[in-house]
Amino acid sequence: MDSRDTILKKLKANKPEFIALPKINLDIFDENIDMVKEFIRKVEVAGGKVFEVTDNKEVLSKTQEAFPDTKVNFTNLDDSGFFNTIDSETLKNPHKLNDLDVLVLESTLGVAENGAVWLTDNDIPVRVIPFITKHLVLVLPKENIVPYMHQAYSVIDPQVLDYGIFISGPSKTADIEQSLVIGAQGAMSLTVFLV
Amino acid sequence: MSHSKLAGIFNKDEKKVDWHDKALWFVRHKRDLSVHEVKGWEELRNLGHGIKAHTLSHLDVYLEQFEANALKNGVQVHWAANGDEHNQIVHGILKENHAKKVVKSKSMLTEECHLNPFLEANDIEVIDTDLGERIVQLAKEQPSHIVLPAIHKNKLEVDELFQEHLGTKPCNGDPQYLTGEARKHLREKFIHADAAITGVNFAIAENGGFVVCTNEGNADMGAHLAAVHIACMGVEKIIPKQEHLGVFLRLLARSATGQPITTYSSHFRKPRKDTKMHIVIVDNGRSEQLSRPDFRASLHCIRCGACMNTCPIYRRSGGHSYDATIPGPIGSILSPGKDLTKYSTLPFASTLCGSCSDVCPVKIDIHTQLYKWRQIIGKETPQPFIKKKSMAAMGKIFSKPSLYGKVGAVARWALRTLPKSLINSWPNIWGKTRDLPVGPKQSFDQWYKERENNKKDDQK
Repeated sequence: MDSRDTILKKLKANKPEFIALPKINLDIFDENIDMVKEFIRKVEVAGGKVFEVTDNKEVLSKTQEAFPDTKVNFTNLDDSGFFNTIDSETLKNPHKLNDLDVLVLESTLGVAENGAVWLTDNDIPVRVIPFITKHLVLVLPKENIVPYMHQAYSVIDPQVLDYGIFISGPSKTADIEQSLVIGAQGAMSLTVFLV
Repeated sequence: MSHSKLAGIFNKDEKKVDWHDKALWFVRHKRDLSVHEVKGWEELRNLGHGIKAHTLSHLDVYLEQFEANALKNGVQVHWAANGDEHNQIVHGILKENHAKKVVKSKSMLTEECHLNPFLEANDIEVIDTDLGERIVQLAKEQPSHIVLPAIHKNKLEVDELFQEHLGTKPCNGDPQYLTGEARKHLREKFIHADAAITGVNFAIAENGGFVVCTNEGNADMGAHLAAVHIACMGVEKIIPKQEHLGVFLRLLARSATGQPITTYSSHFRKPRKDTKMHIVIVDNGRSEQLSRPDFRASLHCIRCGACMNTCPIYRRSGGHSYDATIPGPIGSILSPGKDLTKYSTLPFASTLCGSCSDVCPVKIDIHTQLYKWRQIIGKETPQPFIKKKSMAAMGKIFSKPSLYGKVGAVARWALRTLPKSLINSWPNIWGKTRDLPVGPKQSFDQWYKERENNKKDDQK
């Protein structure tokens, strides 16, 4: 018998009698929070910045203002040819993205309780890009903010998702004497534009 | 070596112990502030407990479901009965892909299986990419905490390590500079890695996906650059449905560090184009722990480390004093299940105050299990001579009130009269670093009777 069958057999023999799966009653958690306000507060606590803007044009002009001297930029926003300095060929080789300065991506889901922004394979040209970039800029429609993680998962189809990520703030560590340092292995800054 | 002996080594540097104690208590405090913001937190913990208890009662079925779905997703699934088999499977995958350079993000399971030394012995470079883990790896040590692996090291020690291994300049332990240098060093390793190994925080039966949580982004940097991604998980990491992540991701980071969520919560399901994804499912003693009704709830653990941060013993004895992959209260109920003799002192490294159970996000009755292990260990493993004799003597004294009264009188007299050198002599372990109080003239019983008599006198 191979290990698979041995393990499964042992687990079956050793498990307790069936215990029912508890039902999740979401009313218990509901606080009627101001979702935009809470979202902004939580992104800021996580070390990110939030700006409210009117459209994507303003996103890119504000981004350029914030990062004026960058060499390598990329976004998949519409009508952004002037902003991009790398082509789709370069994107195919993730190892060539190590010098990426600024990346602007659109998200379709944010969570108020923790400031997390959701990205999937549909939103990112290659998976490594939101991590390898120096600065990450995310654009999120205000109406797509949900209060808690429960509501976030109710709009994510588990059978369609190939890869997805919740990002809350820039990469960080406190592994040296518990001193918080922003910019560990991933992006060194995070800016969220609410449209 | 016993827990108390190893704790003694850690306690030689009193200043460090004080810092360690306060730093962890601060993390515990951040946890409190964070969870008090969540409406329905206790219900969330109940759900965490209930979902895990249900899952364990149906574990074989969910694992098979998970495997079938992962295979459909184009992921290869392997099963390992123990640590050796796990290591061989991982090595086999690396060999098959001609992988010589490996980056690894935090996985307590691979620590438990001693994967690094095994791969290194087979000429494979393994780089731990979580900063804390990289620090302990460079120091040739084990993590002393499951969330804060290098909490036992001060910044000057890290400074010295980095000078020696990464060629950094002396910086008086500047965390910003040292983290920046580590970032550069690890970037090189990520770019040139042939394979990436990650742990698994949650594996979802209904869709074959799994979630990995980090603050640094190291799991993703590794997994998305290398051509092969190997994810290693214990059998107990399974949850039935994706919607249950809603419960566990709310609980995990708040309990661990006080953050409402980790910076990155990565949901892996299908490999990216032209790359391979493997999952190794490991038992290594878990199925046996499942067979023990008193201890199976220890498998609910989601590895947040809250029980360590709150534990008055852990904070003052350091993670290495447990001499186990998982230290602290949860480690002390997991380890005896693996080797009762080797870990026989761990369940005694507790005041049984119950704080661990109070902060546990999935409501494991940790302190009750510690007590239950003590009962088993007392019967099945040899106990120290003094402990055995003094326990037997105490048992006799406590069972006979008249004897208790006499011994009490002698003890009170001794504490008042005998010199400290005699009272704190070697059989009295308590007196090693503490003084006993001066013996009162009366026993409680005498004091109480006198008080009652005085009351009666007053009433007259």
